[in-house]
Amino acid sequence: MTNGEEITLVVDGVEVRAQAGMMLVDAAKHGDVEIPVFCYEPKLGQPVGACRMCLVEIEGIPKLQTACSTPVRDGMVVYTQTDRVQEAQNAVVEFLLVNHPLDCPVCDKGGECPLQDISMGWGPGKSRVIDPKRHFQKPIPLSPLIKIDRERCILCYRCVRFSQEVAEDEQLQLLERGASTFVGTFDDRPYIAPFHGNIIELCPVGALTSDAYRFRARPWDIEDAGTVCTLCPSQCNIKLTVRDERIQRVLARDNFEVDDGWLCDKGRFGYQMIESPDRITEPMIRQGGTLVPVSWEQALEAAAAGLRDAGERTAAVVGGPSSNEEGYLTQRIVRGPLGSPHVVSTYDDAVDRELLLELSRPQLAASVADIDRAESVLVLGTDPMHSMPIIDLRIRKVVRRNGTRLAVATDRPTSIDGVAEETARYSPGAMSAFVEALAAETGAEVYDRAEGELGADAERIAGILRPGSTVIVWAGEPSLAVADLAAQLDAKLLEIPAGANGRGLREVGCTPVAGPGLSETSTGLSPTDLCEALTEGDVEVAFLVNADPVRDAPNGPGWNEALQKAKFVLAISMFEDGSTKHADVVFPAESYTEKEGTVTHPDGRLQRVRPGVPHPGNARPMWEVLAELAGLLGDETGIDSAGEALAAIAQDVPFYARITEGEIGGLGVRWQEREAARNFPLAPGARPERSSVVVPTSHVGTTGGVPGASPAPASDQLQIGTYRDLWAAEVTDRSPALRFLRPTQTLELSPADAERLGLNGTPEVDVRQNGTSLRARVAIRERIRPGTAFLVDGLGDGAGALARHAVEVSAAEGGE
Amino acid sequence: MAGQTRMLFRHVDEPGLASIDTYRRLGGYRALEKALRDIDPDELLSSLEDSGLRGRGGAGFSMGKKASFLPRGDMEKFLCCNADESEPGAFKDRELMSKNPHQLIEGIVIAAVAAGIGQAFVFIRGEYWEVADILDRAVEEAYAAGYVGENILDTGHRVELVVHRGAGAYICGEETALLDALEGKRGNPRLKPPFPAIQGLYGGPTLINNVETLSNVPHIVKNGSDWFKGFGTEQSPGTKVVSVSGCVQRPGNYEIELGIPSREIIYGLAGGPPEGHEVKAWFPGGSSAPVLTADELDLPYSFESMADAGSMLGSGSIIVADENVSIPHLALRTARFYHHESCGKCTPCREGTNWTVKMLERVISGEATPMDLDVISSVQDNIIGNCLCVLGDSMAMPVGSMVAKFRHEFEAAIEAGRDAAPRPLDESPTDVKPVPVGAAG
Amino acid sequence: MSDGWVPEIKPTDDLSAADRRRLVESMRPEDAEPVPELSEVDIPDELRERIESAMQKYPEIRSASLPALWAVQRHYGWCTPEGIRQAAAVMGVTPGYLESVATFYDLFHTSPVGRHRVLVCHNLACWLRGAEDVLDAFCEAAGVDPDEADHIGTSSEDGAVYLRGFECLGACDIAPMASIDEHYYGPLTPEEARTAVEQLRSDARPIPDKALAGRETAGGPEPEPDPRVKEGEA
Repeated sequence: MTNGEEITLVVDGVEVRAQAGMMLVDAAKHGDVEIPVFCYEPKLGQPVGACRMCLVEIEGIPKLQTACSTPVRDGMVVYTQTDRVQEAQNAVVEFLLVNHPLDCPVCDKGGECPLQDISMGWGPGKSRVIDPKRHFQKPIPLSPLIKIDRERCILCYRCVRFSQEVAEDEQLQLLERGASTFVGTFDDRPYIAPFHGNIIELCPVGALTSDAYRFRARPWDIEDAGTVCTLCPSQCNIKLTVRDERIQRVLARDNFEVDDGWLCDKGRFGYQMIESPDRITEPMIRQGGTLVPVSWEQALEAAAAGLRDAGERTAAVVGGPSSNEEGYLTQRIVRGPLGSPHVVSTYDDAVDRELLLELSRPQLAASVADIDRAESVLVLGTDPMHSMPIIDLRIRKVVRRNGTRLAVATDRPTSIDGVAEETARYSPGAMSAFVEALAAETGAEVYDRAEGELGADAERIAGILRPGSTVIVWAGEPSLAVADLAAQLDAKLLEIPAGANGRGLREVGCTPVAGPGLSETSTGLSPTDLCEALTEGDVEVAFLVNADPVRDAPNGPGWNEALQKAKFVLAISMFEDGSTKHADVVFPAESYTEKEGTVTHPDGRLQRVRPGVPHPGNARPMWEVLAELAGLLGDETGIDSAGEALAAIAQDVPFYARITEGEIGGLGVRWQEREAARNFPLAPGARPERSSVVVPTSHVGTTGGVPGASPAPASDQLQIGTYRDLWAAEVTDRSPALRFLRPTQTLELSPADAERLGLNGTPEVDVRQNGTSLRARVAIRERIRPGTAFLVDGLGDGAGALARHAVEVSAAEGGE
Repeated sequence: MAGQTRMLFRHVDEPGLASIDTYRRLGGYRALEKALRDIDPDELLSSLEDSGLRGRGGAGFSMGKKASFLPRGDMEKFLCCNADESEPGAFKDRELMSKNPHQLIEGIVIAAVAAGIGQAFVFIRGEYWEVADILDRAVEEAYAAGYVGENILDTGHRVELVVHRGAGAYICGEETALLDALEGKRGNPRLKPPFPAIQGLYGGPTLINNVETLSNVPHIVKNGSDWFKGFGTEQSPGTKVVSVSGCVQRPGNYEIELGIPSREIIYGLAGGPPEGHEVKAWFPGGSSAPVLTADELDLPYSFESMADAGSMLGSGSIIVADENVSIPHLALRTARFYHHESCGKCTPCREGTNWTVKMLERVISGEATPMDLDVISSVQDNIIGNCLCVLGDSMAMPVGSMVAKFRHEFEAAIEAGRDAAPRPLDESPTDVKPVPVGAAG
Repeated sequence: MSDGWVPEIKPTDDLSAADRRRLVESMRPEDAEPVPELSEVDIPDELRERIESAMQKYPEIRSASLPALWAVQRHYGWCTPEGIRQAAAVMGVTPGYLESVATFYDLFHTSPVGRHRVLVCHNLACWLRGAEDVLDAFCEAAGVDPDEADHIGTSSEDGAVYLRGFECLGACDIAPMASIDEHYYGPLTPEEARTAVEQLRSDARPIPDKALAGRETAGGPEPEPDPRVKEGEA
């Protein structure tokens, strides 16, 4: 009998079919038998059998067994309701309540509390405990986001197991022993880690409660609404807790294929941004220098007029959170009635269409769940913790539980370095050179094997990767070498785009190098060139769709100037920001909790974003607004619903053909796994000409060096790389609960450089390059490659412009 | 002294026995030489199995059989010598290690070779700091003499040995908790299966044996399993070191053959209670064993007869209480110990030990009724068999036995407590004082 | 990073609603304790060497957590938060992990204790032979509350002696007994307990004639060996 084989067992006299190796507690559910549990949670890994709630009787075994840790066998005969079992269940409930305060009337968990439910269902119904219970200060803040009530804690281990074995931040611990055990942190410090909100959901009692949700609602006051979080490319499936048409809470909506049932704190607490009183809720027109609310008719007229005048001198910037429908309609307006090829959805300079096709080939595409099946994983050019947090957890899981071999090759140290078998560091801007060296090491003969350190690093990394069973999670500089590497290893690729719906937007045509379905089209300007063209007046109108280039583009100040110079700016935005400052017409944007539409996950999974709360003020569905705008400009789309917008996409994107909301359903569907994937424009095996691949010149720093050859900076200089910190985001600023996480600009450098530059003990520095200067705190990091240093992008201080430049660093003047 | 059969304790007080020279002069390490040079590991393993040597840690499982459960193959396997002797009443391993450390080291190396193990650890309780120092010195000597380490005696065998000091937690004597502690974690017991023989230390196959068990190994190898079976009983060959303590005149370790009358050990060897006093209750196998009464003193001291009497021989530690001892107080002391030592992982043990202590305290302070004694008994029943490991049962069994066998004393204690500290009816129950966070005990 | 964490109010203090708010407001991301950067932690060389040599003895680094905590305790007298952070930095684990381990084991002190550590066994065998009186005598001589000493351990005001009622120390043959600075002594009388405290106050070796080391096995001199054993020695 092997695991997974279908077997039969008998639970309480009922024959139950299950897979061998399944835990009894899960198998029993197939026979509609519920066995109560507290500590058991398969998402946390192996069962621990600690709470003893799931004791059952198994024929042939004298002692009661924990159903959570007993794999089922064929012919097993199980009893869950005998007197013996009931006595044990009563006993365990009674024991759990020895120290539990039973303060249900004032407990947030009341009504949705497993301890309440199990006490009712399996408990003795009366108490014999008259002895004093243990007391703690309560509730106390465990972090700014979570309160802990240790008196309610039943020591089920779930939260600490999450911290140890899932997030692996190991900050949350059990302290003391036995009946004195309590959950806490080192030296009573706050527990601050990007996934820590999950412990609220894991807690089976009211010991860990969300500070933002405390005393906001009872379970019978609320409604649930499922949607997808579009705050980052993870696109985790979420469930909104809605009371009186307001979002009170966000919970995970388990989807193994996407998020494994976890959420990051940004996704969990970021809903506060949506509830912000600063939201733009009316269409507005700039009159006499200020934006004033107007009717939709007026706003649409003004927008149409502005766009119509500019015609082909219009450029659209579609932001990451935009839905496929918004992106599709935007590019349709721009490419159709306006006749302009300028549509971008990322600030990284685009590759050409051939390379884009090559890297998007369905045969090369890894699904998120492929990570679980791979024998090795390569993380290339990105720190998933910042770019796609949920992947960080996924990779940790497979390394811990499957023994998957992990290699990391990046410029900046990543948060998963600690679980990697090999790590390699290259200089900022030298990713392509590294990938070529790596491809050469794996046997791709078109590249020369590298010498020296680069060659040795590539060899170490290559040594980890298992041909035929590797997933490469990557971001950064696209190159043919990435595809060659994957081909050589027979590996699959999972690209993390910069925007939350980066993949979907690209596939519906929001890229200057390809139309919908990555079809051939006349090429538009790259983001860098676009910014310049706006500044120079070659392009006159900017159409910003859920985009704030002033904040999000690496060259924010440049975009500020570009938008200022633009003749007309139409912005669709949730908030007034650095970009709407220049807008002539503003439409209120929808959030992912109000929007109806679809997004495409980085692995090609189409998912539905569904409205859970009404639109604020006069905001309207954006697909509708954009369809009207198209109509005003002469393109009668005939689109009267979100579903029809999707149908239009399915029409124009051959590999999305015939997809419907119904087919996408609650858990999404990967287009690569559908029949229509055959319509992907590039025939399998067809390869672009190597010579056609453009090396994005703007990626090369001013040192003018060849990527890969790490330039030797002058003695007081450092080669700068930037990274977009998870928390360097609008949602951090606009969600009161998250505001404390806003990063401070920090220069991270190696101990050797700190020593060399005399920065040991220097709290703050000024970083200068070619006239620009910014201030940063100093952090010395062991794992940083000497000669390189890193700054946070997206803080609005222009750090992005320093990327790949050599800078001068000196102790802050007038600083502490 | 009559009744003793000294095999492990032979030459125990010989000056310098702890040094390798003296040990060798008295015949030490010859078994190791024989085992490595003249016997192949499979044969070695079967002779250990043939000898019938049962684990001396408490469970009494066949040592050779346990070793044979380890999978064959080249994977890294581990041997852990359990020297976390913490059962109240047990102190035999301390004396075996401090007096004759090389006997243990020799046993460890032989057992490791027999089971194809390359890395061995001695997990010694942190309180035994002095003993660990002795052991460390002995291990160093053994390394220097080539009995431990790479290529032992040029036979190609490798056994590394590290002495790992615990830090004060009874639960680490439980074999899977010991593994967690050795892995540097909190010493929580693990779920079984998987059993350590299959998946133990660092996930590798692991053999865990008690100090006394392993100290027997050189004798078996040197003289053969048939010779060994000439000692003790058929079910339990060899000798057994019995620790006798409490109300006796000569507390100490006595090496005997199992099956002799218990009275002979308590009275004959340990001198019985002081003149004019008599045995009221005794634990035959450490504080985890249900107590026996004076009526049961003539039972043969063996695994089987103690089990038949509803108790157990366990690690072979006899604690004697005389007629002056208050059984409710004894029960409270016992319960307090297990409450303090419960790791807190599983519910019945963590909460059951804690609740039992509170109830027994009420018995003694007079704030209980005889009905509470029924609750106490029922709580013990609710603990037994429902825990992750045996620690909970280890309290529930003796405490349950005391309430059952001496109920009248508990009832009297309630009365006495009430008389000593009368409390007006309208006063609120015990003052609820906040427990400072982090307070132990 | 977190050297600055000195909250005005500790989370475990008696908190008013206003305190709670102030505490939350004072929490900064950098106050959390992930694995400390080795370069940001100053570690005494000797401590670092001890921990590193322990790490080399085991197939997995975490096995060194008990030896590392022992080394910290040896160095500072108790497992200070700073010492735990240092060990955590060397081992590449979080300080929380080591604190969790430290608080599990009775012999690690996570708050300051007296110079000399006296653990008085109060378990069955010692209790049956008068351990309570011995513990009381120790406490009286040290001037500490016996109840506190018995349950959670406490130190004398002059910082000379830490006293704690302890569970079975595995020396019931010398009951009632105590472990003083990791050496065993017994059987003890209340008088000897008082003497020991005085000696410890002046850092003298306490009651040497009651030391377990060198004590002969119970049961008198070596008996004539059993003929079967003798045969085995041939």
